Amino acid sequence: MEFFKCSIGGVIYGKGVTEIEKAAARRNGTGIEEMESPAESHEKYFNFDDDRLMRGAWRNEPNPELCKEFFRCLAVCHTVLPEGDELPEKIVYQAASPDEAALVTAAKMFGFFFFRRTPTSIRVRESHVEKIGRMQDVEYEILNVLEFNSTRKRQSVICRYPNGRLVLYCKGADSVIYERLMERHNPFKDTNRDHLEYFGAAGLRTLCLAYRDLDINAYEMWNEKFVQAKSALRDREKKLDEVAELIEKDLILIGSTAIEDKLQEGVPVCIETLAKGGIKIWVLTGDKLETAINIAYACSLMNNGMKQFIINSDTKEIRDVEDRGDALETAQVIERYVAERLNESLRQAVESEQTQTGLELALVIDGRCLMYALDPELRGTLLKLSVMCKAVVCCRVSPLQKAQVTSMIKDGAKKITLSIGDGANDVSMIQAAHIGVGISGLEGMQAVMASDFAIAQFRFLTDLLLVHGRLSYLRISKVVAYFFYKNLMFTLTQFWFNLYTGFSGQRFYDDWFQSLYNVVFTALPVIIVGIFDKDVSITNSRKYPQLYKAGIENIFFRWRILIIWAISAVYQSVILFFFPIKAIEEGKNSSGRMLGLWDAGTMAFTCVVVTVNLRLFLACNFITRWHLISIFGSILAWFIFAFFYSGFRNPLDKQGNIYQVIFVIMGTWYFWYAIVLVPVASLALDFLHEGMRRWFAPYDYHIIQEEEKIKGVERDELLLVESPRQAPEQSLELTGLHGEMSKHTGYSFDSPCFDSFFASQEGVSMSQRSYDIARRASMRVSRRQSSDLGSDSPPPGHNSLI
Amino acid sequence: MVVGVIFIPIGIAALLASRSVVEIIDEYQTACIPSNYTSNDQRVQYIQDFTTDKICTRLLTVPKYMKKPIFVYYQLENYYQNHRRYVKSRSDKQLLYGEGASLADTETCKPKQLLDDQPIIPCGLIAWSLFNDTYSFTISGNAVPVNKKGISWKSDRYHKFGNVYPENFPNNLPNNENGSLIGGSSLDLNVPLNEQEDLIVWMRTAALPTFRKLYGRIEQDLKAHTQLTAQINNNYNTYSFRGKKKLVLSTTSWLGGKNDFLGVAYITVGTVSIFLGLAFFIVQWKYPRPLGDISYLSWNQKPATS
Repeated sequence: MEFFKCSIGGVIYGKGVTEIEKAAARRNGTGIEEMESPAESHEKYFNFDDDRLMRGAWRNEPNPELCKEFFRCLAVCHTVLPEGDELPEKIVYQAASPDEAALVTAAKMFGFFFFRRTPTSIRVRESHVEKIGRMQDVEYEILNVLEFNSTRKRQSVICRYPNGRLVLYCKGADSVIYERLMERHNPFKDTNRDHLEYFGAAGLRTLCLAYRDLDINAYEMWNEKFVQAKSALRDREKKLDEVAELIEKDLILIGSTAIEDKLQEGVPVCIETLAKGGIKIWVLTGDKLETAINIAYACSLMNNGMKQFIINSDTKEIRDVEDRGDALETAQVIERYVAERLNESLRQAVESEQTQTGLELALVIDGRCLMYALDPELRGTLLKLSVMCKAVVCCRVSPLQKAQVTSMIKDGAKKITLSIGDGANDVSMIQAAHIGVGISGLEGMQAVMASDFAIAQFRFLTDLLLVHGRLSYLRISKVVAYFFYKNLMFTLTQFWFNLYTGFSGQRFYDDWFQSLYNVVFTALPVIIVGIFDKDVSITNSRKYPQLYKAGIENIFFRWRILIIWAISAVYQSVILFFFPIKAIEEGKNSSGRMLGLWDAGTMAFTCVVVTVNLRLFLACNFITRWHLISIFGSILAWFIFAFFYSGFRNPLDKQGNIYQVIFVIMGTWYFWYAIVLVPVASLALDFLHEGMRRWFAPYDYHIIQEEEKIKGVERDELLLVESPRQAPEQSLELTGLHGEMSKHTGYSFDSPCFDSFFASQEGVSMSQRSYDIARRASMRVSRRQSSDLGSDSPPPGHNSLI
Repeated sequence: MVVGVIFIPIGIAALLASRSVVEIIDEYQTACIPSNYTSNDQRVQYIQDFTTDKICTRLLTVPKYMKKPIFVYYQLENYYQNHRRYVKSRSDKQLLYGEGASLADTETCKPKQLLDDQPIIPCGLIAWSLFNDTYSFTISGNAVPVNKKGISWKSDRYHKFGNVYPENFPNNLPNNENGSLIGGSSLDLNVPLNEQEDLIVWMRTAALPTFRKLYGRIEQDLKAHTQLTAQINNNYNTYSFRGKKKLVLSTTSWLGGKNDFLGVAYITVGTVSIFLGLAFFIVQWKYPRPLGDISYLSWNQKPATS
């Protein structure tokens, strides 16, 4: 939440460019010149730079009076509590929503520093009002607070200036404010509306600010009604709303604010990249429908070319039924509606799939409908439909539903799911998915604690998946296949031998050879490959997200690949058994002596070790000195072992089968002939296969490797150092983009009472959020006292009042 | 290609070496049994009969000039010297050390470990089944000596067999005493094991059921078309398992005996690689695919399928 732009008296201030604008510009192909973000003293909640307003410069603007009202409205009309030292640098604002904090911070930065609240007043240190550089503390008496709620969509404060001026400041959604503006005296109404639309399109959250000077008598009369309503025992809320209506009228528009709910840096690009990588993205969010759609637009997940299916419970019929108050009837109506819409959408989806190619579909469904759509009867339809859609957005979903949707995809569509989120409400979803990724950020650590992987920013997901995930898939599949191959091959040679021993189970190799084969002679190189192997550079992994599809389609670890490895293993085992044994079968060296069983076994084993290790050269994509060291080291290890083992007689071993054997066979030409011939002959098939593969049906990464070879590789830079363990993904749930923007003007206010929305669905009544400023203010005072007394009560976070 | 270029000469060299070897092979297990023993059972009976003298004479013609030394082998077929239980049935400890505890260490030698509760030296099936056909050669009445020294590997002689004298060896018993079967050759009780080279050769068990073992060397050249008379003492029973016995006379080359396999394999691999190299070359020339052309990437070639 950052104060990003504003429009005062028909003039837009603020130079920043939002991510969404950047993304949109990129989509349209028109690059926006990269503007330096205001580097100077970046304050939390404040990302605004315009010399026309800062440091008192507003006094030279066409409308200094309006600017002053604008800032005062920001400084006065809110429910924020200041905490800490009353200095601009040290103060901490405790706000019900980050938006409010952002607005108050903005006022502070403009020179209207709100620093103290008492139950009846607000103190603001105003700079540059009388004269540039002059500061004065002004106390505004707060007479009434007309609180925010989701039906009013606005908030007002009536305050009295020290000089007795009585003003109502109001801020709220454009729709409600515009309804209540004075007919005349609002020259900026239309320009401001244009600005609102512009802000909305840029993904900013807007509020309109307005004020009204009150006549003391009119106010007194109204206040009586207000007090009455406030003390009403029945329908207090409703009565208060009605009373508020009486005074919140004939407003004069000041301007509007635009707050950037920072989609984290690079989110749209990241999502676009992942989508290119064949990952299907679902947005599961607690936000409103419009907001969620806007986010989807912002993330390039949806665009206007898509056919959208919107299943929304907020329709007129449903509302009518709800008004009748019969819960059962409501449920039935919604259920029927959801079923109809789902089936209809599915029919259309199938139709459009058949007729129009390339038409992309998007599904938007809200939490309430989702509740019915997740019924066992409708679940199948929902699944079918959502699998056909390119983008799926679920809004207003509860944490539980997030998990339900995740498991629906996981179990129903048999896809690999990854959930990423940053809030506590994402925990269940993170746990439900195959892979849970937590973003450690402002919203606490719960998500991170529940996750398998934790990243600091959403955009790092690109690296996590496209670089680390893909590489580890590649490596794991290679290592597993290789293990499979090397053991199959080794065992098969043993098997062939037993065809010649009357099936007696005689070992072809010595016990120790056999036991150390997997432990020493062929262990390290494959681990090295598993650690270091990399098909294309990291830069290119990012550049070609499509490479990721290989994982989704499981190209490197399907049956075909394993069968190819197995065929190669069978072929090699035949060569590795028959060649050495044929070579010495009738052979004798020039001294005429014959070689025996253990000579054959040792010779074959030498060939096996050499072959299996060299096979890795064909399997790995690039060779470092570690590869060389490990591969030749393993072969060397075998020889060293063989020399020792046949060089010394183990007194505990009753049968010194291998004693002296290696020296005998190394003294024959056969050995040297075989050790050159056998690995070459057995690797020839793999070499051929690899060559054909590269030439006739190259994998995508082959081509990129060639490109790298020709053009050279840009220097790899790793953004993240993460443990590279990841499985292939198919669909990706995405949430944690808590932003609120509406389609055109981007109205926003405090987060709607999300919890109570669901609570009311489940029949639990929950009090609306309390904005009883007086109570909070007095609480603050009492806490201060108690801390003076030395008690150490923890300060309540703003959530504690919800 | 490179492989081909390197391999073919090596292969040719190996093949030439193998071809330069002159071999005479004579299968005698049937011929050396009087023709009235027709069925296999009768032959087994014949061979197990210790009373008869089983000398048989074979006439061998030298096909080409054979340069000395000429190696004399016996070749057995269908003889599973690599059977698991057979391979195990020996005590290398006993063979080498022979003293004290290891003398009696015949645990692994089952079923030929004890004779009258005394440990057999050398124990085990392998030693017991020592080959006992003998050969002697004459050329037109003149004896051709067969040198039986140095037919075993030095390492075996020096490192695997010790100065151990045979004892209790069942084959040395008078025929069929105690009902024990005679497996094969008897041993000279006055010669230590490390000098009994026939045994040492025999005990280096073969890898395959068809194997050759060195019998001795003829230390003189044989001219072509010489008639060589081989006198065979046909004692060894391979009839009960229908094993073949062959007498082999062979010269050696630098590489070894007559074995075309390596040469052929080298030449084959070499040829195949040259052929494939050419094939690739032609393919590249005819259907070139520019390297690193990203338009060949799968997603650039066909519309992305979701």
